[in-house]
Amino acid sequence: MKSVPKLIRRFVGILLLSSILIVIINVIAFVALMASKIPDENTSPYSIAKETGTALKATDSGNYMLSEDISARLAENDIWAILIEDDSRKVVWKTENVPATIPNDYTLSDIANLSVGYLDSYPTYTGKHENGIVVLGFPQKSFWKHIQPSWDYSLIADLPKTVLTVLFINVALILAIYVIANIKLLKSIKPITKGIQDLSAGACVHVSEKGLLSEISANINCTSDILQKQQEQLRKKETARANWIAGVSHDIRTPLSMVMGYAEQLENSPNLSGTERQKAFVIVKQSKRMKNLISNLNLASKLEYDMQPLVKKQENAVAIVRQVVVDFMNMDIDDRFPMKWNTDEKLTVCNISVDKNLLKRAISNLIQNSISHNENGCTIYVSVVADNNKCIICVEDNGIGASDEQIKKLNHAPHYMVCDTNTTEQRHGLGLLIVKQIVNGHGGTVTIDHSKYGGFKVALMIPQ
Amino acid sequence: MSNDYLLDKHILLVDDEQELLDMVHSILDEYGFHHINTAKSIEEAIVQAKKSPPELAILDVMLSDGSGFDLMEQLKMNGDYPILFLTARGEDDDKFRGFGLGADDYIVKPFLPKELVFRVMAILRRSYKGDNPLVQLKYSQIDFSRAEVIKNNEHIPLTAKEHDLLSALYRNAGRIVTIDALCEAAWGNNPFGYENSLMAHIRRIREKIEKNPSQPISLVTIKGLGYKLNVEGK
Repeated sequence: MKSVPKLIRRFVGILLLSSILIVIINVIAFVALMASKIPDENTSPYSIAKETGTALKATDSGNYMLSEDISARLAENDIWAILIEDDSRKVVWKTENVPATIPNDYTLSDIANLSVGYLDSYPTYTGKHENGIVVLGFPQKSFWKHIQPSWDYSLIADLPKTVLTVLFINVALILAIYVIANIKLLKSIKPITKGIQDLSAGACVHVSEKGLLSEISANINCTSDILQKQQEQLRKKETARANWIAGVSHDIRTPLSMVMGYAEQLENSPNLSGTERQKAFVIVKQSKRMKNLISNLNLASKLEYDMQPLVKKQENAVAIVRQVVVDFMNMDIDDRFPMKWNTDEKLTVCNISVDKNLLKRAISNLIQNSISHNENGCTIYVSVVADNNKCIICVEDNGIGASDEQIKKLNHAPHYMVCDTNTTEQRHGLGLLIVKQIVNGHGGTVTIDHSKYGGFKVALMIPQ
Repeated sequence: MSNDYLLDKHILLVDDEQELLDMVHSILDEYGFHHINTAKSIEEAIVQAKKSPPELAILDVMLSDGSGFDLMEQLKMNGDYPILFLTARGEDDDKFRGFGLGADDYIVKPFLPKELVFRVMAILRRSYKGDNPLVQLKYSQIDFSRAEVIKNNEHIPLTAKEHDLLSALYRNAGRIVTIDALCEAAWGNNPFGYENSLMAHIRRIREKIEKNPSQPISLVTIKGLGYKLNVEGK
């Protein structure tokens, strides 16, 4: 089934898209959060320390004086400040709020430490001063400082590569998890989709009723069973009907042989009177009608229920039609039904793919129709025309013909044998029905019309 | 040429229905066949065939103790004579099976007596050429065994193709044989494109058998369809 891979592709696509979207959203949120928490230029401890360094001025009396506004800012933020002198490394000035635990003497290493870290848990920042260094102590837990912010050089240099690799591995990992999680589901979907597909093709389906979707599988199996049962019943019914018709037509043949045989002997018996022989003649004639009927009935039912497979081969339609015409001419002893061969003499071959026996039967039926419907005799005209990849076989006569209305009905109304409504008017013989069935089986068409010779005309168009 | 000698042929009739046997017997008897044996089963037929070997067997396809095809195989083992099937089954496979095994013809029931007699005579004529090998035409005679025509006491030889064509026409004497069937008889399967050759051969045959070849009487043309050989005494 084509839609399953499509379904999988769509799901994987949605999954990947959503993962990427989540990563992007997270990055944006992270950046925004960081940006909101990073102190700006004015409030950053480094700049305050720098400003304090600049704002602390030595007075003439040897003391130091911090400007008003910086002093206020420090007090407001609970920041203390000290100035450590270059030479003595002693505190020479301090704000009033310096905690008592802050020492007054410093070694060089103390200063190096406090410049990057803490002094007595107070995050400290340094500013430059002409006589030494200003140290600002911020309230405890107000800042978090990296004491050793050093990484391997390659780590930073390879960062983009590393990030991409990590991202890729993440995506692969997510995919793997998804695929593993879905394999089970897909495993149970696959037989179900195949089952539904086979079901629509009319096949017998049995899906294993295990796994996640066992309930659906069970329903498919149940549906298949019902369909198979119905098909089987229908087939049985049709076979029974066709067999019944075949059986009846078979069983009638032997008794009818005897009726026909003795009646014809009586018809020719010199011991009987003329009227008696005439009666025997009627029996023979009616027996022939019954003979035609039973053989047509059997073939019509077989064709209708597809029990007569077409054995198609490349055949010369001209030769087939010619043979049928000659067979009739050879049978017509009293010459009441002369036949005219109206085929162009140049046309000797018209190859079509047909079941030879069935085509012969169709043409025989048409000629027989002309004979049966014209008791007083008529001339029958037969022609074959090759026209643009099709072969047109035409049988017509100069007999009594049919009315416009009858012709319309013959062309369009279904025969009672293949009609599912109750028709009482379409009681014509089976001969034409068989012709239509045979020609339709070859992908051709049958046209019934008035003949230019005054009678009935049937044209069969069969594609090559 | 008279066909009377064919009426002396022994015929074996096999059908499991007595009334049908009686009818076929009476049809053949009325026509002039007087050497007819009947049997109602395969067993009986084999006994009959051994007692007096027939020269033609007419078999029903469905017999009480087996199929007519099986009977044919057994009969063929003991003698080579033509077999005609009577069948109530018109289905094609049965027909083909019958021919494939060596049946000479078949008639689907119900049939008219004249159809049966015609088929029987045709098979017998085909199988038994008779003591007199000469086929009598209006102005000449054909001797198929010597492949020659005798006209005005003159012996004119027939070519192989002419012989084939005349044989095919003679087998269906009095009936039209289509152009296609004649081409097939002379040139085998797939006989397309031989129509002109056929016309040339027919012309030469006419020169040999007719008094006036341009107004043929024995070998007549049925325009567009085929030819018919008219034989005297038929």
